[in-house]
Amino acid sequence: MAITTASALHSENVNVWFGERHVLKDVSLTFPSNQVTALIGPSGCGKSTFLRTLNRMHELIPGAGFGGRVLLDGDDIYGDGVDPVNVRIKIGMVFQKPNPFPTMTIRDNVLSGLKLSGRKTNDADELVETSLRRASIWNEVRDRLNDPALSLSGGQQQRLCIARSLAMDPQVLLMDEPCSALDPGSTRRIEETIVELSESMTIVIVTHNMQQAQRVADQTAFFLATDGNPGHVVEFGATEDIFERPRDSRTNDYVNGHFG
Amino acid sequence: MSDIANATSTRQPASPDLSPVARPANAEPWKRKDRAQVVGVSLSAILPALFTWFFGSTLALDATVAVVAIFLPLQLVASAAMGIRIFGRRGIAESLLITATVLLSLMVSVLLLSVLWSVISAGAQTISWTFLGQNNVYISPTTSLEYGGVGHSIIGTLLIVGLTTLVTVPFGIAIAVYLTETRGKARGAIRVLIQAMSGLPSVVAGLFVYSALIATGITQYAGWAGSLALLPLMLPTVARIAEEALRLVPAEYRNGALALGAPAYRAFLQVTLPAAKTGIITAVLLGIARIIGETAPLLLTTFAANNTSFNLFSGSMSSLPTYLYQYISNGNDTSTQRAWGAALVVLILVGILFTTARVFGRAKKTTSKSLTKAKSPRKAN
Amino acid sequence: MAQSKNAAATENGVSGARRQLVTKPFSRADKIFYRTSSVAAYIAVSIVALILIFLLVRAWPALEKQGLNFVFGSTWDSTPEKAIFQIGPMLWGSLLVSLIGLVIAVPMALAVAYFIEFMANKRIAKVATVLIDLLAALPSVVIGLWGMVVFSPIAAHWSELLNQTLGWIPIFANDTENFIGSPFIAGWIVAVMIVPIIASVSREIFSQIDRDLINGSLALGAGKASTFFRVILPTSGGGVVGGILLGLGRALGETVAIFFVLNLVFDINWGQIIAPKGGSVASMILAKFGEATAEELNALMASGLVLFIVTLLVNWLAAAIVAKAQPWRK
Repeated sequence: MAITTASALHSENVNVWFGERHVLKDVSLTFPSNQVTALIGPSGCGKSTFLRTLNRMHELIPGAGFGGRVLLDGDDIYGDGVDPVNVRIKIGMVFQKPNPFPTMTIRDNVLSGLKLSGRKTNDADELVETSLRRASIWNEVRDRLNDPALSLSGGQQQRLCIARSLAMDPQVLLMDEPCSALDPGSTRRIEETIVELSESMTIVIVTHNMQQAQRVADQTAFFLATDGNPGHVVEFGATEDIFERPRDSRTNDYVNGHFG
Repeated sequence: MSDIANATSTRQPASPDLSPVARPANAEPWKRKDRAQVVGVSLSAILPALFTWFFGSTLALDATVAVVAIFLPLQLVASAAMGIRIFGRRGIAESLLITATVLLSLMVSVLLLSVLWSVISAGAQTISWTFLGQNNVYISPTTSLEYGGVGHSIIGTLLIVGLTTLVTVPFGIAIAVYLTETRGKARGAIRVLIQAMSGLPSVVAGLFVYSALIATGITQYAGWAGSLALLPLMLPTVARIAEEALRLVPAEYRNGALALGAPAYRAFLQVTLPAAKTGIITAVLLGIARIIGETAPLLLTTFAANNTSFNLFSGSMSSLPTYLYQYISNGNDTSTQRAWGAALVVLILVGILFTTARVFGRAKKTTSKSLTKAKSPRKAN
Repeated sequence: MAQSKNAAATENGVSGARRQLVTKPFSRADKIFYRTSSVAAYIAVSIVALILIFLLVRAWPALEKQGLNFVFGSTWDSTPEKAIFQIGPMLWGSLLVSLIGLVIAVPMALAVAYFIEFMANKRIAKVATVLIDLLAALPSVVIGLWGMVVFSPIAAHWSELLNQTLGWIPIFANDTENFIGSPFIAGWIVAVMIVPIIASVSREIFSQIDRDLINGSLALGAGKASTFFRVILPTSGGGVVGGILLGLGRALGETVAIFFVLNLVFDINWGQIIAPKGGSVASMILAKFGEATAEELNALMASGLVLFIVTLLVNWLAAAIVAKAQPWRK
């Protein structure tokens, strides 16, 4: 199967409101192609919200407001005449809690993206196998592709959700704390998968786990929201620099576990 | 080897004995009851009734008089006395609350059972294959029960209710979609209106269709006019239960579908709707149960007929409720017998709908349970 | 590329100012999907509006001719030339029967709800819930048959006893020898039909009461009785009242069952509840429409309109109260 090349993603001065509450201020980040970027920060700092602006899932929340631009290969995904549906096809998302579709089998879950976006494939079986292989779950489910998806364990369900996104062949994959509901073994396997996937796509991952950010991310952004002020990026750079040579004292405190 | 084991065990300091102890019979001390108390409560629950029955039958008292004049005062005094014995003075209110609750609940059960028993016992004498299969042509109010029956009414009910269901279900689901899947501004108002609509008197629905279509000569009495009159009665039930069912589908599934690049309609049709399937089926079944016995709107729109008709679009049509109405109104014994028979048929239909709805409501839980069971051995691999 | 209209540009040249989010459906299929659902919702509204408007138009001649006397007068005469249509006795009769129904049904319904929610163990509670739902599903024509054949004689006997012992109280007076067809009997029949409505709403409301509140009361040494009257009823009061109003709406609109057990008489029965004369707007419509003259039909429309407006108000009030008592439903 042909794999499209990864794309770079830029956010320029992204601002977010919920109703009148300003929750995210002037976030400008660059996500180069084939790199893994980790978004870290204490709870409520707006990093998950920011992630949701990157594929226009943010606007599904009633009262949501947005300012700024998000560029995928130079095109504003919030531009006039851009269908959010097309944005989400190019920029996939994996959620915190595994959410395979309960009424579908494992196989149908992998193919669900195609069906849901009304597209066809020439070789469904091959697509199922490739996607499940890339999500490193093929060997576990190859003999029971027609079992209900909910018969899998939590970690398997999450990898199935990753496979489901991969079947759409996205240029960017967004992951919102994909391991927070999983045991250490499953977490390790998903981290390995992330590193492998970054060879073919751009990945942005929100995580609470410092070690995880260090293990998988090429670059890291530290978000912070201090009482009453909207969340913003305190520091952004290579993962090594953020964790070992932070320029900002607040970053230093956070990555060394002094708060958050 | 065994020497070493022995040696170590003897050298070890005496460790606390952790072997399990059998649970004693009195491990729930809070459930222990004074035997005298148990006897007292049982006596206070039984004696008044026994006493009433005894005096009532020996003195040949009227049942109502016996209950009101003997049983109620006795029972209240007995309950109050037991209340004081167990809880002290506040026990009076306590025991009277319990007594009142039980007696009133019993009253409701008696009424319900009386209705069910009357219909079943009297209806069973009427029901036969002839009664279920034949129509009402050449049958007069006094014709013996060997002839004639509700066959034409069953067909009429199925057709009329079927047509209503065919229209109302998509309609009701669409309203539920508006209430749950969209951000329409009028959602609150629509929800209240749907609730208010469920109070539409059925005779008014019939009157509306009668005056709009039949009195104006647009159509004669016809099955489809009946279906139309039933629509506003079924709609609120379907819409409300379907809304509840859609609301119960976790947002994460919807979001998962949308994040895969699904347009909203596909996310709904392929993910949300299948996930809410059992709830939707319940909505449909309870909606049908709501209208299957509706009489007044049909009397005004389909009227009654004696012959079997499959044509919803012309000519008056019989249905079970109108048949019932016809024969209750006649007033003689055979007619009443026929009415009971028809009532039993209606009751059976309602029972079937009701049980199916229950079974579907429960099916969801059992499948999820069996899934968790299936999960554990696989996890072990 | 869409540039923001806002001039508050930052150093990058890109404005971070708020702009309108496009949350509207983009593809045509989605537009159709959303439009279909809103159209369905608006059609539901229009059905109610249509019924109201249509009835009003058809009822207007009758209302215009009688004025306020339509609802207060007591004469119904369809003889051509001197036709007079007034529904006072029927309207009052509907209210009286519903009122009697509520007086009988509310204690029973609250008892059932209390029993299921606070007294019965899980299995019995489940069975009781099923039975109550079943009672709610019984068609009114079946209740009417039972009411006429089985219940009326029994209730007539009760009425007779009441009359013999308490006949000196005006409401138990009855100058006729006949005890069948009274508002008292119709009230019982209505009660059988509205008990499940009130009971299931109350049960739902009871089950949502914060258990800590009840435990708190019990922990203070309050008995079950005072907990019920001082804690449970006050906290769930709104919802229970809403449930009662829902029952009232159903009672006012009840047609066939009352038709079979009540003597419809165009003479106001102010409160002799066991006398064999009463009224009900809904049943009257059913009784009259078959042989109605054109002018009489207009009067029936007017009766339907009055009935609909009353039940609409009652139900709307009930829905609002229940919704307020269950804020989680929003």
